Amino acid sequence: MNQFKWFTRNWWILHIVAVTFFFWLGHAIHF
Amino acid sequence: MTIKTYIRSILLAALVALSLAGFMVHSRIHLMAQNPSFIVPFVAGILSIVVIPALFWFKRTLAYGYVLNGFLCIIGTVTMSHFAIARWSAPNSPPDILLKSMILDILILWGKFFVGKALFELETFGYDPNRPKAGITYRYPNMGWWLIHLAAVSFVYYLGNRLWS
Repeated sequence: MNQFKWFTRNWWILHIVAVTFFFWLGHAIHF
Repeated sequence: MTIKTYIRSILLAALVALSLAGFMVHSRIHLMAQNPSFIVPFVAGILSIVVIPALFWFKRTLAYGYVLNGFLCIIGTVTMSHFAIARWSAPNSPPDILLKSMILDILILWGKFFVGKALFELETFGYDPNRPKAGITYRYPNMGWWLIHLAAVSFVYYLGNRLWS
């Protein structure tokens, strides 16, 4: 997929950001 | 107007209609003053109504719309499942679990996902009726890729909820 050229090359940056975000989201949400 | 533009408009209308309905249901039942977590459906609703249709509209940003739409559906699935488990009250019998839990809302959300997916597939791979479906299931942009990400996001979210309190 050409649109994600930067992301496919630097996929690990995206995954670190995403994992941090979802880990934080799990911490932040309490029902 | 070409058929392509017409079908794209129909699918975008479906996407906005579903998003608007979701946004309105959330704003009716979740008051943000009650729980700051309810800011999540508010922000997701605004993104779904304004940002995602705009991303889907342009060929250059189509894939970003597809990914954002999919991840908002994953976030919705995970947080609504969490909500259902955390506030498990009445549903005990199998029909009640189906009809009174959040499964219903999660299914509607996946309806929105599939509208977005249809839009993406038609725009990316064209409208040729004889074109065979290609690509490996577990690779982007196919369903297996989404299921892997749903499982991974659920797991990381669960760890964040359990380990960091």
